[in-house]
Amino acid sequence: MRRLGGKRAIVTGGGSGIGRASAIRFAREGAAVLVVGRAGNTEETAAAIREEGGIASALITDAAIEENVAAMVARCVSEFGGLEIFFANIGVTGTNTPLLEQTIEEWSEVYRINTISCFLAIKYAGRHMTAQRYGSIILTSSAASLRANAGAISYSASKAAVNNLAQTAANAFAGTGVRVNAVLPGLVETQLTRKVFEDARARGVEAKLGHVTPMKRPGRSDEIAAAAAFLASDDSSYVDGQLLSVDGGVSSTHPYGRIAL
Amino acid sequence: MSLRLKDRVCVVTGAARGIGLAIAERFGEEGGRIACVDVSARRLEPAVAELKSKGFEARAYEVDVAKRDDVHALFARIESEFAAPVAVLVNNAVWARFDPLAQIEVETVDRMFAVGVHGLIWTTQAAAPQMERRGGGSIVNLSSVSAFNPAKDSIAYSALKAGVVGLSRASAIELSTKKIRVNVIAPGMIGTPASIAQFDEATIATRQAEMPAGRFGEPEEIAALAAFLASDDASYIQGAVITADGGWTIPAR
Repeated sequence: MRRLGGKRAIVTGGGSGIGRASAIRFAREGAAVLVVGRAGNTEETAAAIREEGGIASALITDAAIEENVAAMVARCVSEFGGLEIFFANIGVTGTNTPLLEQTIEEWSEVYRINTISCFLAIKYAGRHMTAQRYGSIILTSSAASLRANAGAISYSASKAAVNNLAQTAANAFAGTGVRVNAVLPGLVETQLTRKVFEDARARGVEAKLGHVTPMKRPGRSDEIAAAAAFLASDDSSYVDGQLLSVDGGVSSTHPYGRIAL
Repeated sequence: MSLRLKDRVCVVTGAARGIGLAIAERFGEEGGRIACVDVSARRLEPAVAELKSKGFEARAYEVDVAKRDDVHALFARIESEFAAPVAVLVNNAVWARFDPLAQIEVETVDRMFAVGVHGLIWTTQAAAPQMERRGGGSIVNLSSVSAFNPAKDSIAYSALKAGVVGLSRASAIELSTKKIRVNVIAPGMIGTPASIAQFDEATIATRQAEMPAGRFGEPEEIAALAAFLASDDASYIQGAVITADGGWTIPAR
């Protein structure tokens, strides 16, 4: 598929997991990708893309700080000549501290990284995209945004805010040709969930991961990337303000049982 | 265009025109082998001729999806004529009338549910064993934004399309164990001749102004979403309802 030929994309959280898989998928579909992350593996993703003949650069920066987001949009435009796709994908889990003992410091940091990063992406990508009257902004939410017991409380709440932001921003961009959607992954092995997977492996219960989903398995980063590529492309040209669950069915059914984590 | 549906037998109901025909065409572009199903062979004939002229493998099948035995016989025939089990099923066929409450007739409601809910149960029942035999499959059911945000005179239609969501999600639970995915598309206002004909110009302008996209959707845009859900690109999407309405139902009004 070369649905993104000639397009320019920013993917944040691009050093690993869903962001890495999406950056690679976007590039395979023809996009030039500015891979943004906080760690050195950001450069590895860009190098992997270039190795298979794609166009990519790496930018190591915190994508939840305003001037950094403004700068990455400017960098994408100056280096690649434009910006049509922004995948706001950075995220952090909260702690499982008992609710009554949680702190404002934890909540502020979780909201800064999960929610405010999306606002900043919308603000700066939106300025560029509304001016050119074309663009697709994709926000990473989570199945945890819809239900309890699928993640830390601060995480779930911050992702619920992301869902609303996808809708309110899409509505604010009415008539501009800029679409905003969210993708809601279920359980996927990434940097955020690595401990869950490692603990399960250590206890010999890896086969139980994802057992509460109808599909009876966790998802893979490339499966989320395929959904992000759909939302990035014109194949989703009439899909706007939507919450796309990519979770093996867990959000569409009653759970069969609790996940033993 | 890559061939995400290469060599897969895809059944599309209501394939003679509008969204169904657009889906059949997109599936053809992605390498699918298309079984075009419609209640009218006469209506189907030019559609299938058009698909064939584009180089796609397409066959026409006339059936009333409301008739269980006929549907089962049809799927056996499809498997035999394509010499392969069905991999993709799109339930797009619908028969609908829009009336105020007092004027809703028994015959109207019976026919709507016979085609739009019973029909989906029969096609799913007939397709699932074939999909299981080939190691999995994808079912895409057409609902509507009316399932959640009903319009005027759509009491029966809203119930019908909400029914599609329930039966799809319940099917997803049962069929998940057989590696069959079942997902739902909820289109908003799509500019098919049949939908445009329902409204006067002023109403169309009002509706379009309500939508962030500022326009009705095109059948091809629903087809692109159907192709995504039918393909392995949607391999972890199960029981989902995806609205394609240009943002129409986002704002409170």
